[in-house]
Amino acid sequence: MESLIHFAYLDPGTGSLVLQSIVGVLLGTIVVLRTKIKQLYYKFKNIGKKEETTPEE
Amino acid sequence: MKGTIDPGSFRDPAGSVFRYKDEVYRQITEVGKADYDALMSTGLYDALIAKQLLIAHKEVKNDFDLSAYKIIKPKTIPFISYPYEWSFSQLKDAALVTLEIQKVALAYGMELKDASGYNIQFLDGKPIFIDTLSFRKRATDAPWEGYGQFCRHFLAPLALMAKVDIELNKLLITAIDGIPLDTANKLLPRTTKLKPGIFMHLSLHARSQAKHAATTAATPKQTKVSTTALLGIISSLGSTVRSLRPKSPHTEWADYYNFTNYNSSSFGEKKKLVKTLIKKTKATQVLDIGANNGLFSRVAAEVSELVISADIDPFAVEHNYLTLKQNNEKSILPLKLDLINPSPAIGWANNERQNITKRCQSIDLVMALALVHHLALSNNVPLPKIFEYFTQLAPYLLIEFVPKEDSQVKKLLATRKDIFPDYTIEGFEAAAKKYYKVTQKVPIKNSHRVLYLLERKG
Repeated sequence: MESLIHFAYLDPGTGSLVLQSIVGVLLGTIVVLRTKIKQLYYKFKNIGKKEETTPEE
Repeated sequence: MKGTIDPGSFRDPAGSVFRYKDEVYRQITEVGKADYDALMSTGLYDALIAKQLLIAHKEVKNDFDLSAYKIIKPKTIPFISYPYEWSFSQLKDAALVTLEIQKVALAYGMELKDASGYNIQFLDGKPIFIDTLSFRKRATDAPWEGYGQFCRHFLAPLALMAKVDIELNKLLITAIDGIPLDTANKLLPRTTKLKPGIFMHLSLHARSQAKHAATTAATPKQTKVSTTALLGIISSLGSTVRSLRPKSPHTEWADYYNFTNYNSSSFGEKKKLVKTLIKKTKATQVLDIGANNGLFSRVAAEVSELVISADIDPFAVEHNYLTLKQNNEKSILPLKLDLINPSPAIGWANNERQNITKRCQSIDLVMALALVHHLALSNNVPLPKIFEYFTQLAPYLLIEFVPKEDSQVKKLLATRKDIFPDYTIEGFEAAAKKYYKVTQKVPIKNSHRVLYLLERKG
């Protein structure tokens, strides 16, 4: 099986790689949810107004 | 090859930094070719330059007898400094620049290979990323190899500085690759570790590292981290760093300028004098030792290009940097410096990061205002030794003699035996003349102090 990661020159530490895959899922989900909630908020805020603007993320 | 490779630039097979005739260059090897080309062609380089996050460079001819793919010449950094010399907010801003760069890079399908504090230098008052070869194309779902390094070089020292002691980035002097996470974890108070960001990126991280250090697997676990997940981690690291703030300072130097030995007229006069004397020397780079919040550094900056505004007090340096930021000043570099124990050379062969004396070779003039009594009396350094060391720093010295009649000195000697018979103006001048010629001597009105402009002999 081909190696997924081609390491550069640092020793990244297995512990650091493993932790990322665990917390990354949680933190990534939080960021996505935050963005979606913001978009929904602006959608509701602009209901009835002529122009709809959503903030950039 | 022509020139010498920087003794700290040997780990990355993609290239290295070298010096030739006092100029700095970077060579890119065949190993680094693909990633460098991607940096330039994807638009990432231009994006980072536009945001002033990365040092600009130009490609130059290979006249150095090197079998390199390309040679580039980055913009010059006039004075090199290190994370253990920075104040809290300088380190914080360096951390945020690193995270911002990683975030921008991801949008171009690239990433940072590392996240070392030594990738950042200060230019025109702001932190800037100098390792142009730190960029590589990101493989799909690859975890960030720089994550551990970021936590050791930035998050750990910042958390310790904010929650334990403002001086703890000094640990970076002995921890050459950042403060070990289990050390930081042990030192942080329990309440701090309840903060989600600190808990995840320091405590859990330390535990994860310890757990997997013991295992010896033949094939490394292929952990997957999507771009969204990585952006989530970067966002979390950023908000954790931004939330850290040092406790309010209460040092002997707070309100220093209210209690010194001047009335307001002699203060204005001292400023004028300092400006005139520095202008005389045509100095371009000035080192202000004991600069406190940078009051006189700013005077020097009016007549020079760069003033290294150095002080032992971390809060004074912090105050100086925050002022600089607020006013968008470009000619000051605040740094922490204890002249009694200045930054040593560290790293492999004690040579990767240079000691401060060596880095001062570009300094034209040293300012030592309201300083000599702290060295000679508080720290028992004989006057001739003080002058001898200053000759190693710069050809010119602007120094203020603070005599025993001065109220600051009276305070210093109040609880000590006066074992300093040579600490007189005659003794001061005799010691100075061993190493310098006295270009000018000006008593400061309404005080007992005398300002000297000295030029190194030979």
